[in-house]
Amino acid sequence: MSEAIAPALLAPGRTAGMNWRRLVPLLLVAPLVLFMLALYALPVLAMLSRSLLEPAPTLAHYAELAGDEVFHRIFTNTLWTTLVVTAGTLVLGYPVAMGLARARTLLPLLLIIVLLPFWTSVLVRSYAWMVLLGRHGLVNEALLAMGMLDRPLRILNTPLAVHIAMVHILLPYMILPIANALRQIDPSLARAAAGLGAGPWAVFRQVTLPLSMPGVMAGILLVFVLSLGFYITPALVGGPRDMTLSMLIAQRVEQLDWAYAATLSAVLLATALVIIAIFQRAFGVGTAFRMSAR
Amino acid sequence: MSHPSLSRRILFGLLAAPALLPGRGSAETLPEVTSIPDSLKGSGEIRVATFGGTMQEVQKRAYFEPFEKLSGIRVRDFAGSDITKIKAMVETGNVEWDLAQVSRGSVMNLQKRGDYFEKIDYDIIDAGVPAAFRFEYGLEMLVWAQVLAYRTDAFRGAVPKGWADFWDTKKFPGDRALLGAGSGNQPELEFALMAAGVPPEQVYPMDLDKAFASYTKIKRDVVKWWETGAVPVQLLTDREVVMTSVWNGRMAALQQAGVPAAVSWSQGLLKRDCWAIPKGSRNRAQAMKFIAYSTMAIPQARLSMLIPYGSVNDGANEYLSPARQEVLPSAPAIRSQLLTYNYDWWVENRDAVTARFNRWLLT
Repeated sequence: MSEAIAPALLAPGRTAGMNWRRLVPLLLVAPLVLFMLALYALPVLAMLSRSLLEPAPTLAHYAELAGDEVFHRIFTNTLWTTLVVTAGTLVLGYPVAMGLARARTLLPLLLIIVLLPFWTSVLVRSYAWMVLLGRHGLVNEALLAMGMLDRPLRILNTPLAVHIAMVHILLPYMILPIANALRQIDPSLARAAAGLGAGPWAVFRQVTLPLSMPGVMAGILLVFVLSLGFYITPALVGGPRDMTLSMLIAQRVEQLDWAYAATLSAVLLATALVIIAIFQRAFGVGTAFRMSAR
Repeated sequence: MSHPSLSRRILFGLLAAPALLPGRGSAETLPEVTSIPDSLKGSGEIRVATFGGTMQEVQKRAYFEPFEKLSGIRVRDFAGSDITKIKAMVETGNVEWDLAQVSRGSVMNLQKRGDYFEKIDYDIIDAGVPAAFRFEYGLEMLVWAQVLAYRTDAFRGAVPKGWADFWDTKKFPGDRALLGAGSGNQPELEFALMAAGVPPEQVYPMDLDKAFASYTKIKRDVVKWWETGAVPVQLLTDREVVMTSVWNGRMAALQQAGVPAAVSWSQGLLKRDCWAIPKGSRNRAQAMKFIAYSTMAIPQARLSMLIPYGSVNDGANEYLSPARQEVLPSAPAIRSQLLTYNYDWWVENRDAVTARFNRWLLT
């Protein structure tokens, strides 16, 4: 499928007289590109330009940001949370993706279970975690009843609660691309490896895992970028110091200091772009999406 | 035009017998306005932005529905009033709301940066609304309180009164929650100062060093700096904290659900919401009529009967039962225990306080 089109897109004009063919895909995406430019890119640029143009052309906001101790703290905290959540979704999501990839009759049911959280609002899920993780919530009560604890643990209103809730909310974004990549793998490859004497672990390490990497990379990228912008969940289940960059942005928006809010947003956007660029360089994420899109 | 000195008694029928109403479940016998002066009548529509939720449901019954019938002006209500949206609407000339429920602090903060609101036309406002609620660009229309709430089962019968008790973790052990600086909120420096022994009447202008020194004493015991009204109520319900600050209207639902929790009015903050008209509103005149109507005694009383928030019209109390008045922050016995929130001080100092609060909390 896309493999056939992709070379034409990537290496255009190699065949003389075929140029008009190149135009077809461009024409097909043109409406969407125009739509995104007019209704997304331009407003975003207008907003971001406030960081440089308000009240007059200036770099003062960026200078303020560079010396803003609170910003440094929050930025580090946001990045750390993002790393932990990405790792958490990967560790929990990969086995589920394997199950999904192998499922036959159970597939619709499993898909519904994975997708169900998608259809529930983040707000509702965050409140649900407040109820579950509280000192007298289900988790603590169960551990107490089983005699695993003497006194309830404090989980709610700590960074741990933020990590648990965010992993739960973002898991589908990790599971689906990996499951997709796993389903592409020709089962005869694993059988051939086993036939050549590889044990199950060796088959996984040397065949399945490398072939699923494009899906893994796509999942990591999605979760990483989405986590960077989290607001509601940390605000509801986090502790006193669990402030994220988007919470800081919202605070400045409310204070009507939109120039500084735009400066912070520019930094957040740049961080996301840098991460995407690194992934592109290191792992060729374009390939990841092409393969997992099948 | 004529001064609004006509007695409300002449203008409005007193069909209901409001003095006999029970405090709760009184919804069936709300007092009704039977006629309004021609100056409040009109045609067309107004688009009203409110804070949504229960508040909006209640405003529908207390204000919107009767106003539509009496005035001939249609009311379209929207949830999610937001000062930042008003800023964007006015700046882009696309004003989608004719009227918004906001705080006077927000109005002043925005008005500092330009001309974002229409002036209120006080010629048609009811004489029962005292001068204290009248401002150039906003008319206050709702009185509420930010108060101490606690689990009644937490201290073996001991009752915390005021912020010194809230700060006293030996006498009243357990975790606490307080309002933070997110979502357009301001930290409760007033409470920190009263906890440090500053008498309420000397709280403003606030001594920041003293307030933050007081905050530091309780920092370890505050497990949550909340930013949405639902959170402290949830924390109390789940026994996650034993004491917190709350918005008083949220406590009624909690107590009705049977949660053993109570409010201590002493040293609470008396706050207000106001109506403001975004600059360039297409239906400015109709919005002004609605403001005048909703701040009359009976509409104000209707709202207070449906949700425990106080009125801004001195005439409203005569429609409220003594039992109902006992739970409203506008009732004299309660109001005298509250410190009136100083919007002017906060407009001057908010940005500096927020920056300092972030630094204090995070570093």
